[in-house]
Amino acid sequence: MSERLSAPDLQEPIGRLFESLRPDLLRFAHWLARDRSLAEDIVQESLLRAWRSRAALQDPGAARAWLLTIVRREHARLYERKRLELVSLDDVLETPAGPRLAEPDDDVFVLRHAIMRLPIEYREPLLLQVLGGFTTEEIARELTLSSTAVLTRLFRARNKLRVICGMMSAPDVPGSEGER
Amino acid sequence: MNCDEARLLVGAEPAATTPALEEHVQGCAACARFRAEMRTLDANILRALQHPPDVARAQAQRPPPWRQWALAASVLLATLAVLGVWLLRPSDTLAREVVAHVQAEPESWLATQELSAGGIDAALRRSGVELSLTSDKVSYAQSCWFRGHYVPHLVVQTARGPATVIILRHEKVRERRSFHEAGMSGVLVPADEGSIAVLGRDGGRLDALAGQMQKEIRWLPEPH
Repeated sequence: MSERLSAPDLQEPIGRLFESLRPDLLRFAHWLARDRSLAEDIVQESLLRAWRSRAALQDPGAARAWLLTIVRREHARLYERKRLELVSLDDVLETPAGPRLAEPDDDVFVLRHAIMRLPIEYREPLLLQVLGGFTTEEIARELTLSSTAVLTRLFRARNKLRVICGMMSAPDVPGSEGER
Repeated sequence: MNCDEARLLVGAEPAATTPALEEHVQGCAACARFRAEMRTLDANILRALQHPPDVARAQAQRPPPWRQWALAASVLLATLAVLGVWLLRPSDTLAREVVAHVQAEPESWLATQELSAGGIDAALRRSGVELSLTSDKVSYAQSCWFRGHYVPHLVVQTARGPATVIILRHEKVRERRSFHEAGMSGVLVPADEGSIAVLGRDGGRLDALAGQMQKEIRWLPEPH
């Protein structure tokens, strides 16, 4: 994990491009993993994987999305290997409507905590959409879900955040196959 | 497009516009309102995600720039005042900081579902604490950074409503102290190692819960 792109690697345009995207990748990994040092490990490993497979990147303009998917998969690998997610803590969000918070900054503060505690199946598509800029179809391909399942997860993710921010919960949508 | 379909699309992609959705929203005030709310929420979600979680927390707590000079000017006075408070009434200062910490995590009071033993254990383990609650329900369990250490922060659902328990291994108090601040009542009680803070909104059975905690907490070697 401690291996980094070497100085000669960084002289190449593709190496510099990868490094320039490191802050975005780190932010994405941090929100996924909810742990700074783990996120750094994930990003480092992802950049090494990307470097080894750089020939597969045909369009440098697609580098950001490509790297984000590598980060997501690296996180998923770690998640599967170490069972890092504490599902029981995620249940915290299953709550009734709370008091409305008047200040927008309060909403953002509460949202940060709430997003951190979203179950991974809701947090992951939301991050891919909001931070990654992925379309529903792209998220569906990445997560090997149907587009309807992705829409349902995104709806439920935002609905949970609505409730945390004190808004009325919207009526749930019928779960698609594979949805809880 | 019916209301269910419109809300699924708006909830999943608040910025989405399709001819069918626009037509529906124009004729449905409830869905139009829902979309406006979701777009506001989405703008806040984007703001919330702009910084990594730790940075976000630090920045949220940072005072605005104009206050830097005022803060600097009052450092000496504040230091003396704080020192005085610490020396004279250390548990009062501790109580205030505990209340401030609870206020900073307002969502902790909203949780109502009981956590599993594993979820509670995860929050306790980082501080070297074990707890086997038998009669009450823990609906919130976090390991929080407080006065230079990770401390377990729990919310227990009691018959009188939620009560917060913060286990303060590194904060010793000589005797039980009660406090009332920011609409909360609480007690600080000594424990075998450090102390335990229990807070509630209406007083409730705080002493009973504190006593229960004193009995049921097991202190393990502190992890490094």
